[in-house]
Amino acid sequence: MHELVEFAVEKALELGASYAEARFEEKNGTSLAMKNGNPEGLSIIAERGIGVRVLVDGGMGFASTNVLTKESVSEAVKKAVKLAKAASKVRNEPIVFSEEDFHRVSYKVKMKKDFRDVSPEEKLELLRKIEEDVKATGVNVPMRYLGYSDQLWKKIFINSEGAYVKSKIPRVSITYNLVVFENGQMEQAPFVQRAFSGGLELIEKDEPWSWAVKDVQALKKLIYEGQKPPEGKVDLVISPEVAGIAVHESVGHPYEADRIFGREAAQAGESFVKPDMLGERIGSEAVTVIEDPTIPNSWGFYLYDDEGVKARPRYLIKDGIITEFLTNREYAAKLGQRSNASARAINYNREPIVRMANTYLAPGDYSFEELIEEVKLGVYMVSFNEWNIDDRRYQQRYIGREAYLIENGEIKHPVRRPILEITTRALWSSVDAVGKEVEFFPGTCGKGEPGQGVPVWMGGAHARLRDIPLRRP
Amino acid sequence: MFDVNDFILKKAKELGFGDVVVLGYEMDRRQVRFANNEITVAKNWHERKVELFVELEKRVAGTTITELSEENIERTLKTLLGNMKGMSPKEDYYGIAEGPFEYKDIPETFDKAIVELDEPNEYVERAINAALEEGAKRVAGVLYTDHNRLYLTTSNGVEAFDEGTGIEISVRAFIGDLESGHGTNSVRVLKKFDPESAGRKAGEIAKLAQNPEQGPEGKFDVIFDPLAFANLLSYMSFMTSAYAAEAGFSFLVNKLGQNVANEIVTIKDIGNLPNGYGTRKFDDEGVPTRETTIIENGTFKTFLLNTSMAKKYGTETTANAGLIMPHAWNIVLEPGDYSREELFSEVRKGIYITNVWYTRFQNYVAGDFSTIPRDGIFLVENGELRPIRNIRVSDNFQRILEGIKALGKESHHIHWWEVRTPVSTPYVLVEDVGITRATK
Repeated sequence: MHELVEFAVEKALELGASYAEARFEEKNGTSLAMKNGNPEGLSIIAERGIGVRVLVDGGMGFASTNVLTKESVSEAVKKAVKLAKAASKVRNEPIVFSEEDFHRVSYKVKMKKDFRDVSPEEKLELLRKIEEDVKATGVNVPMRYLGYSDQLWKKIFINSEGAYVKSKIPRVSITYNLVVFENGQMEQAPFVQRAFSGGLELIEKDEPWSWAVKDVQALKKLIYEGQKPPEGKVDLVISPEVAGIAVHESVGHPYEADRIFGREAAQAGESFVKPDMLGERIGSEAVTVIEDPTIPNSWGFYLYDDEGVKARPRYLIKDGIITEFLTNREYAAKLGQRSNASARAINYNREPIVRMANTYLAPGDYSFEELIEEVKLGVYMVSFNEWNIDDRRYQQRYIGREAYLIENGEIKHPVRRPILEITTRALWSSVDAVGKEVEFFPGTCGKGEPGQGVPVWMGGAHARLRDIPLRRP
Repeated sequence: MFDVNDFILKKAKELGFGDVVVLGYEMDRRQVRFANNEITVAKNWHERKVELFVELEKRVAGTTITELSEENIERTLKTLLGNMKGMSPKEDYYGIAEGPFEYKDIPETFDKAIVELDEPNEYVERAINAALEEGAKRVAGVLYTDHNRLYLTTSNGVEAFDEGTGIEISVRAFIGDLESGHGTNSVRVLKKFDPESAGRKAGEIAKLAQNPEQGPEGKFDVIFDPLAFANLLSYMSFMTSAYAAEAGFSFLVNKLGQNVANEIVTIKDIGNLPNGYGTRKFDDEGVPTRETTIIENGTFKTFLLNTSMAKKYGTETTANAGLIMPHAWNIVLEPGDYSREELFSEVRKGIYITNVWYTRFQNYVAGDFSTIPRDGIFLVENGELRPIRNIRVSDNFQRILEGIKALGKESHHIHWWEVRTPVSTPYVLVEDVGITRATK
């Protein structure tokens, strides 16, 4: 296949592109769903194609095709060049890419238990195990939607500056929506996902059925024992799951350089962060946020981004100070920097744009018990349902699903839907202590036009926030 | 492409499959994205593929075939067969529609001028200039042109073809960091395309929104601009699928025949809406698309169904297949009789919300959600508009529908990044909407 990818790059240069890249992607996999105990059907995923991106006279063009012949690829290249040329006429300044070191490299993630060797029926057994274990709890769960998915992603990336990156990354995931109905009341754990880069052994080791059981038992307890959360200024301890969504939404997204410079303004929005805010304090000294695509077996894993740049951990906030934005080559050049390899595309037919991978609140030195024992009155938020944030990533809200009252240093009864509605600066300035253990939770990060849902991990350590104006529904 | 479809069907029957649906697509899509008054990227997609659905003794499976050689088709079918043999049946599967059907041409769904359009950048420039003329400083957005051909063949006697075009633009205009407006225009024929109107609206709202003050919290009468209400209805469209209800993602669970909205509310799905961005001649089983009343004068009448789910519930398909998951084509909230001015004069003290995004649910079955207004937000006081910022709508879906107290008389067709199922809606006045804000 790499001859065709190489051909695309050469053809683009021949037609007048000053820069060209071509990316072949092939995705093969299986997905299965089970709804209320009924297998909903099997879906076989098999897709492949080539995407070509070029710069001509400072304008950018992109075209893709899934017809993998020289003729069709040549047609796509011609379109990309033509579009780039036309786009250059509606630009004030030409697009320039940062200088980078490129490599010829091949890498893959190994599977101990290769999902290609496992029958769909055996995969369905994983969902049946969730069904059975949830039923065995005795909790009434009348609506159960379970999903399994695996995909092997193969890519070949070549650009006109000498990059050649070949990769093979398997991804497995389990998703569930469970609706608990007890005592005339209903609570829900929607879109819960467990997901990894690697083989089926990772799902088996993770035991998603145990997560499901924990969820329905917590929801039942919430229905029978849940009370109103305290209101007004209290302390709040957030779990790695809640810390994860908060760093993703209010640190990762606003630090995306394309958003900072307005390129995503019409869809995913802009940012309260401005280029001159590098070095500015945004949180307390306890807050360090790291973005790292290279974590082994992570859902957001990659070693080279979709512009062929080598990945590394990125410190977005260090000790409360804004230290780095997420960049691709276009915005690294605008900032006078090197790219930190944040360009990702979800498929061959999408352009690479600035994205997160695995974002987390770095650990501190508090044990969980120490975080709790110094709280006189507060809430421990374990998981969340409703969440959202404005398009400048400043005004956000997270509502607890599983949450408990903390009183005089002890965790007490569950509380219903405590609401954290707060600004980004207030959120990260309120953190006075962070736990020692880091945990990750998977998600699909949406951005781009047309939309690109990319796999990411979000997480971190437990964190304690002081004097938070907590709300009730 | 029917020769490919026929080959797939023949081979599938030879292998012993029962129901077979072959849906071939040929798609040409072009995109121009712009920001800061300049084009950031222009794209072109050409795609040829077949979506295949097969059934084998109540076991169902699907895949997409993009490499359409006979060899690959046979290999794919054999892979499906091999995978399905050991699987448990889907006990609530009841088959696909019995064809053939007759199809009517739907007005304003195909325009050769869009197929032949060489260069759409002038429309982008017109939208940007319209926004700048209204006072905007920065303009961003996206323009698409579409040309789609669909070829449907089923084992139940359907052979159907549809060809459609479309052109649409979404424009967001900014003055400062906090002052913005948004406008869209989505049509199927070139002569109805009006990119300036999208740019003008975006610019006008941005200008009105200058120097906003922190917004209040509490319960307010809210006028939702069509762009804002389309977002809520687009989320609701998913919840009207019988599939979503069974899976626990709908506030309409167990509400058939009940009042779920004010009696002035009638919501339809219109699959054959002229000039509708989601319009198609037939659903994925070949049933001719039609008008289905989902909520009639406040009463919930039906979920959206395919043939199998309809049989399960002892009723008729609503022509919304999706073979696994029925879905809406164009959601339409029937307009009322208020002019825009009359609607605003109804509100003594309230809020006008021009756009929302990031609608998320605390509980799908209960319908509790919040969503964030973006772009211009205004306090409405005795006909005067005062710009505000940083508020959130926090309420319940059914309560919003029950709280609708007036509807504008003009309908607007909305389709953009945040409104994936196209929606036609007027301006909507809802009473006592929950508004919250961050206090730290």
